[in-house]
Amino acid sequence: MPKSGNFTRRIVLASLAATLAVVAAGTAGAASSKRSATTLSGAGSTFVQPLVSQWISPLASAYGYELQYSGIGSGGGIAAVTARTVDFGASDAPLTPDQFTACKGCVQIPWALSATSVIYNLDGAKNLLHMNGPTLSKIFAGQITQWDDPAIKALNKGVNLPSTKIATVHRSDNSGTTYNFTEYLSSVSGSWKSQYGKGVAVNWPNGTGSRGSAGVAATVSQTPGGIGYVDVAYALKNHLKFFSMQNSSGKFATPGLKGILAAASSDQKPEATTNELSIVNPPKKFPLAYPIATYTYVIVPTSSPKAAELRKFLFWALTKGQSYGPKLLFQPIPKSVLVVAEKTIAKVKPAG
Amino acid sequence: MSSAELTPDAPRRPFTGRRVRPGDLILQLVAGLAAVAATVLVGLITWKVVEGARPSISEYGLGFVTDVVWSPAAGHELYGAGSFLFGTAITSLIALAIAAPLAIGIALYLTELAPRFLRGPITALVETLAAVPSVVIGLWGILVLGPILRDHVEPALHSGLGFIPLFGTPSDSGSSIFTAIIVLAIMILPIVSSISRELFLGVPGELKEGAFALGTTRWEMVRGVVFPYARGGIAAAMILGLGRAIGEAIAVTQVIGGGVFIHWNLFSNGDTLASKIAASYQGATSKLQVASLVYLALILLVFSLIMNLAAQWIVRRAARKQGITPQGIV
Repeated sequence: MPKSGNFTRRIVLASLAATLAVVAAGTAGAASSKRSATTLSGAGSTFVQPLVSQWISPLASAYGYELQYSGIGSGGGIAAVTARTVDFGASDAPLTPDQFTACKGCVQIPWALSATSVIYNLDGAKNLLHMNGPTLSKIFAGQITQWDDPAIKALNKGVNLPSTKIATVHRSDNSGTTYNFTEYLSSVSGSWKSQYGKGVAVNWPNGTGSRGSAGVAATVSQTPGGIGYVDVAYALKNHLKFFSMQNSSGKFATPGLKGILAAASSDQKPEATTNELSIVNPPKKFPLAYPIATYTYVIVPTSSPKAAELRKFLFWALTKGQSYGPKLLFQPIPKSVLVVAEKTIAKVKPAG
Repeated sequence: MSSAELTPDAPRRPFTGRRVRPGDLILQLVAGLAAVAATVLVGLITWKVVEGARPSISEYGLGFVTDVVWSPAAGHELYGAGSFLFGTAITSLIALAIAAPLAIGIALYLTELAPRFLRGPITALVETLAAVPSVVIGLWGILVLGPILRDHVEPALHSGLGFIPLFGTPSDSGSSIFTAIIVLAIMILPIVSSISRELFLGVPGELKEGAFALGTTRWEMVRGVVFPYARGGIAAAMILGLGRAIGEAIAVTQVIGGGVFIHWNLFSNGDTLASKIAASYQGATSKLQVASLVYLALILLVFSLIMNLAAQWIVRRAARKQGITPQGIV
């Protein structure tokens, strides 16, 4: 059959082209790796990605390192560093005991500090409507379903709220932002804690799941009455409206640098082996604190073929690197945390 | 008529076993190896999956398959596959039911009805649809298709056919099982249509002309000649499409909205086996969760196998009833 002959020829041509492309890519890759002395590759948190991207060119001029970072989500970053396909991983949620075991000799270091914003889409409403933890947990539990609910009205006196249905949006992938958000809900609501708990994913009773910060933002902006959560840098960059949150002193705080700094002052001592810090819902004596703030962590193996370079890079990131933070709403990390972080960096040793 | 009359020359004796030709031997070896390798690969995958799922299997047993729960937070861990299995079945079957008639219609138009100058461009466009990456279709599903379905199609179906439980309250966000079904239908459309087109092109011209000579209309010719001739192949194309719909993960994750429930309303959200694995495998927080996700993969494997066998059985039965041997791929 002439037709089938034609078909075969097409397939042969296509596979030939594919082979050529692969070979070309291979040689190109080899060439580029020869060009630069050291490449440090990392993957993970999308939350910290804007900050890490700012580091690329100063790091190249300071040490000649080429920094490559892909924001594939905290879960992906943990998986990648566990498989040692990258030099470092980044996660907004601290590793769980099982993840520490699987990672075989990894340490985690708090290296950036920011906040999660609760975004909403309500026609005609102003930015920075007021919200508090108990109400928010009832909204995500599906107990408050309309914007004109008395609980929301009481927080926003004088604002005309419509009877629009509330549609909650959460992350469908494993996400450090979800960890931060559910850690907060668990801390303000006993019933949330006992029913759903905290984690990079929880058993959401209702609402829509979307993939990544971009997915949540897209779904909220497509949904009248929608409420979701994304990192504050993302919300600002995309001009999304977000709540001003009531903290435990009764004051309303925005996820700005001041609010994040005040929250960070509430816990300055990282846990002994894990370096974990929890700064959600700080006590009354921090009246300026924004209640949904979080550290985000870099995860490195203690035995690495690029140990010297990694140590240099991490030290730079924790000191000079922090100065790139404020304009992206990353608060430079406090001294006491820095001291612990530097001690942990020293544990990274050459492989073999 | 004896066979001796028809074969005056000494016939070729391929398998007498006396003279072994090296060419035959090599062919036998290469083809045999390929077949064995494929079988071994399937066996290895199955073994690996069963091995990975073992902690979850010993924790939950067979009840896992029907349990409707997925709670990964530490201290609340409990897993079950019921809602995902339901989601996979309902999305893939309805997507196929929507895509198959459309695809066959397209193939028919391209081979029998379209003016000659249109056939090339339309064929190319339909096949381009198959080349669009699923992540792109998923994004388009969130931003364009979802809102259109939510604002126009879902309310219309609900008000017109709301007495059928499938068409319940329209979704809030545009992410829903229904959106996933439409996205899947779009993805399997080019597969089914391009295979059907090849099959229709293969129908011998003499048969078609014979039918016309008997005075049939075009539709009668299609029904009497083209369809029976290509029946088995079309069924095979549909099996391929179904397989794609069952296994598609990324695009579904983007538009289905997530959630652990079983209900008949297509306009609310849910999850499929594949979309749950894609959403949760990276960064799973405990060994039990990883094992449970692999258990989902095992169920997916078994489910596709059952679907495949069932489809093949239907094809064979249909063919026997018609007294026709299946043509083409089957």
